[in-house]
Amino acid sequence: MTKNGQTILSVRDLRVRAGERTILEGVSLEVRAGEVHAIMGPNGSGKSTLTGALAGRPGLEVLSGTATYLGRDLLALPPEERARAGLFLAFQYPVEIPGVNNVYLLKASLNALRRHRGEPELDAFEFLTLVRARLARMQMDEGLLNRGVNEGFSGGEKKRNEILQMSLLEPTLALLDETDSGLDIDALKVVAEGVNALRSPERAIVIVTHYQRLLDYVVPDHVHVLARGRIVRSGGGELARELERRGYDWLRDGTAAA
Amino acid sequence: MSADPIMQGIAASHAGIATRLAGGPAWNERRGLALSRLLGRGLPDRRDENWKYLDHAEIAGRSFSPAATAPVTALQLAPVMLPLAAARRVVLVDGACQPGLSAAGAGNGIEIDDLAAIMTRDPALALQMLREPGDDADDRYALLAEAFVSAGVVIRVAANAAPGRSLYLLHVGTGTGPGTNHSRVVIEVGAGATLSLVEHFVTLGNAPTLANLAAELRIDAGATVEHLRIHESGAQAAQLETWVTTLQADSRYRQQFFALGGRLLRSNLDLSLAGRAAAARLSGLFMVDGARQADLYTRVEHHGAVTRTSQEFRGIGSGRGRGAFNGRVVVHPSARGADASQTCRNLLLTPLAEINTRPQLEIHTDDVQCRHGATTGTLDPEQIFYLRSRGLDAVTARALLTVAFCADIVAALPQEALREYVLERVVGQLPDRDVIRSLR
Repeated sequence: MTKNGQTILSVRDLRVRAGERTILEGVSLEVRAGEVHAIMGPNGSGKSTLTGALAGRPGLEVLSGTATYLGRDLLALPPEERARAGLFLAFQYPVEIPGVNNVYLLKASLNALRRHRGEPELDAFEFLTLVRARLARMQMDEGLLNRGVNEGFSGGEKKRNEILQMSLLEPTLALLDETDSGLDIDALKVVAEGVNALRSPERAIVIVTHYQRLLDYVVPDHVHVLARGRIVRSGGGELARELERRGYDWLRDGTAAA
Repeated sequence: MSADPIMQGIAASHAGIATRLAGGPAWNERRGLALSRLLGRGLPDRRDENWKYLDHAEIAGRSFSPAATAPVTALQLAPVMLPLAAARRVVLVDGACQPGLSAAGAGNGIEIDDLAAIMTRDPALALQMLREPGDDADDRYALLAEAFVSAGVVIRVAANAAPGRSLYLLHVGTGTGPGTNHSRVVIEVGAGATLSLVEHFVTLGNAPTLANLAAELRIDAGATVEHLRIHESGAQAAQLETWVTTLQADSRYRQQFFALGGRLLRSNLDLSLAGRAAAARLSGLFMVDGARQADLYTRVEHHGAVTRTSQEFRGIGSGRGRGAFNGRVVVHPSARGADASQTCRNLLLTPLAEINTRPQLEIHTDDVQCRHGATTGTLDPEQIFYLRSRGLDAVTARALLTVAFCADIVAALPQEALREYVLERVVGQLPDRDVIRSLR
């Protein structure tokens, strides 16, 4: 169990290439237990590449740098071991998997994590009780459980489903990739509630977003601005509001003075 | 006389037995005519556009002499039968009807007869009852079956009859020795009647046999037929089949097709929607692993106005398996307001597996809705990553996605016991079968 203030994730000078293009040009980030970080930046700045590289997305090549997760070399682990060790990525575009039942995936996933932690698997009754409670919190229809994973879900339902999975798996480090995009205000509040419910002294949350609006509901401790593959500025919650007011242009020159 | 050694072999085989087959002089003449037509035309080969993906050498390598057969007991059949409670059963052994193994039950408007018996008792009736194969290039294996016709079954459902229990038609190959057997199936469903037919192909022995089935299904006005077909012959068996199905006005036909076994399977499904507002729906799955081959050719002809058809097939290839789906849809000028759709999606699990698709649409009227699509690919890396990011290992993720690929086709099966049965066969052919079984 992590303690408040303990370093969960330490990224040092990470450079990542996707295809022919180097997207991350040296990112460093320190995330401690109990913290919520927001990484903001314009489109194409490398936000999704950062979360993808941390979760182990195929097709991304780490050129140099390190990412240490709870003292382990994160980049050496296959994606499933990162997940079992408590890292969760909420996808920007949750993929539809017709033919794989949503509730089946939830159960297989939760049990994979519990086995890894040496905990007994939940029986059907315990599992359903837990899922129903989480569904209610996410204001999701129980019918969605027996559909294919994200199959035919609306954009908002897909994002809620990501947060539902997260709330069930209770990750130590949650990476939310543009979870707010495409949500109306009601859905945004529900998603924010799901995220806030996970906030605890043992966990950390990294929210990647283009806009500040989710941060009205999930107030971050630290805000970073990513531009052209580098973190060009870091600050507290007030930085998000400043970005909302002034846009990103004033930071285009990298280290431009405030 | 043909110079082709295969045709010479067929002719020699014919000369040896044809006059000893059922039906007397009238049938000897008809078989002789079929043979001479066939000798003039030869068997299909790679140059025939609808036969280009088939491994003709595998067929040519088989003996066209009559295959040895052997008696079969009910005890031998018990373990290979489908879990169909209370079905009427008709068993064909190496193509020949076996009343002793069948449990057809009488009445309720369904009549089941041994074709050989009808040919012997009333050759003239039999002559009327059996379709004469046409001059169509795709009909030549039916012509071959015609040249040797003497065995099979005739099933007739009276007008407006609802026989209730489904009919289980079990094709058993004894695989006793190398050789070929020919079989005919004739099914007539009267106006307004309903029939649920389950067809199942199995083999008991492992000799390299060739089974050649020519079948016809005639669905009269307003009748409804559900037809489930499961091919799971043994590793050395080759099966050819030519189905000619006609639908009259307002009739309904539903076929679910599973090709899960055999060294080689070639299925010709020829469907003619003759009457107004007739509708047919075909779906299925073919799986080819090892060095197996499944080659499916559907030809759907819309003649009647506002006729509807949909076809949805999936193929899964692994090992060096080879599959083909060739789907031709013809909408004739008379078929105003017709609606036809066709999709075939294929999944290749290994680099050496191969699946070819060839949709063909011929539309001769403006007033028509037609859709088709064919894709062949590997598992989606984004789906694999999604599952792995949720803690499932790569092997499990791939196994889940492979089963998911055909889940809806299996889920459409009418009974839980059949779904379980087919799913187990499907899983049994997948590279990660042990992982998948552990998940269920």
